[in-house]
Amino acid sequence: MEQGCNIIECRDLALAYGQDTILEHVDLDIRPGGLLPFVGANGAGKSTLFKALLGLLPPKNGEIRRLWGKACPGYVPQQQHIDPIFPVTVRSIVAMGLYPECGFLRLLSKEQAERLDATLSHFGLAEHQGKTFAELSGGLRQKTLIARAVIGNAPIIFLDEPVAGLDAASEEAVLELLIDLCRHQGKTILIAHHRLEDLSRLSPQVCLVGHGKAEVLPSETAYGRLRGGMA
Amino acid sequence: MITSFFEVCREFPVAVLCGCLLAVTCGCFGVFVLMRRLGFISIALSECSACGIAAASLYGFSPLAGATAMTLLAVCALSTDWERLRIPRDSILGTVFVFASALSVLLVSRSGMGLLEVKALLYGDLLLASKHDLMQISLIHLPLLGLLLLCLRSLLFAFMDSAGARVAGISVRVLELAFFVALGMLISSAAKTAGSLLVFCYLVVPPATGLLLSRRLWAVMLLTVFCGVTATLIGLTASYHWDLAGNQCIIIVACVLLGVLPSIKALVVRMFH
Repeated sequence: MEQGCNIIECRDLALAYGQDTILEHVDLDIRPGGLLPFVGANGAGKSTLFKALLGLLPPKNGEIRRLWGKACPGYVPQQQHIDPIFPVTVRSIVAMGLYPECGFLRLLSKEQAERLDATLSHFGLAEHQGKTFAELSGGLRQKTLIARAVIGNAPIIFLDEPVAGLDAASEEAVLELLIDLCRHQGKTILIAHHRLEDLSRLSPQVCLVGHGKAEVLPSETAYGRLRGGMA
Repeated sequence: MITSFFEVCREFPVAVLCGCLLAVTCGCFGVFVLMRRLGFISIALSECSACGIAAASLYGFSPLAGATAMTLLAVCALSTDWERLRIPRDSILGTVFVFASALSVLLVSRSGMGLLEVKALLYGDLLLASKHDLMQISLIHLPLLGLLLLCLRSLLFAFMDSAGARVAGISVRVLELAFFVALGMLISSAAKTAGSLLVFCYLVVPPATGLLLSRRLWAVMLLTVFCGVTATLIGLTASYHWDLAGNQCIIIVACVLLGVLPSIKALVVRMFH
């Protein structure tokens, strides 16, 4: 892969929590404008790799080059990480995606408020904007978090297990949303997921994470390895 | 009873103002403490504050300085990422609480004070608040409340989704530390006047009522303030009317409001739907 065309480059990356090394000798080149699933068993290190790529976890060794410019990346955490006790409306949660471009008080300008309205409508959240996170179904919660990640015009979006715990219809709706973002808005979308079958149709390549390694492979090869129990 | 209310306002205006101010400031901070699921930190820091006051009385320095030093020391200890060391945060809060409680008793037992003096020192009495106390609390609490309101949105994001907030460029660790230092200063400056138990009550009970009554942050904060101020006014009036301990009356009223108001809300909702 040619250097300079990538949105993320990792060289000899090693990640660890204290003395426990999770991943090592990881070399990755991720091109912009596509959808790349990160697939592996629970505990394989997908979320750890995401944290490192986002800058939340310093590498133990090696280098990560984030080449998406100065904009903050979009991030969709696992929805169980959001505590439903918080009395915050859908509108306020989506508005949080605009905070990087707001001032100290995080007050929205007229243009930002209009963008917020447009995003809520685009994601079908306009009629739910007055509800709190606790009052939403799993699919709507996920849409809310994706809308928050997208509203700031981030060129790259990280989604950690975005369809975990959703029913088939909600899962389909969320995946359609991601395909639309990728195809029509040119976003780079990285998805961490533990099942390849759900995602192999979305992308010709996947990043297979397991056994302390991570590598980008054609979907077919990755599927073969997973069936052979190699990840 | 209404006559007693006006008499309390006339006879103890400083106590009424102090109580209302504490209900407002502690209530607003308490909403965030509860949302962070750290209610027990309030009693741990209150006890540290009482311990600092006891140390100050024994060694002859300012009670405010003693309370602030002990509380900030505890905040620093609690800001360590204990969960990474596989120790639940609750166990650390419990340890800080029992340590501070035991040390307070040991310190005052060395000071040669009588039981009533010790009780007044450690548990305070709002009715005895002086103009100096009111001035001191106003000077510390109002700027802290202003800071909380200024950082409200960032703090909410950081508490609700710390990883998401960090990705969005918010300094979550700095914001959290600043919040808990502010909370420590709030508690240490209030504990000498109002007592650790009442401060704990203001930080937990009205915010819990607010969270039960509404699902909108601003409404929760306004309802918290309303419940805290109402409990203060009714509690002080009841204390005057029946010659009871002021702090304890306020606490009982706040707890009754917590039990009654959500039931009234549920009844009203059922009637109109």
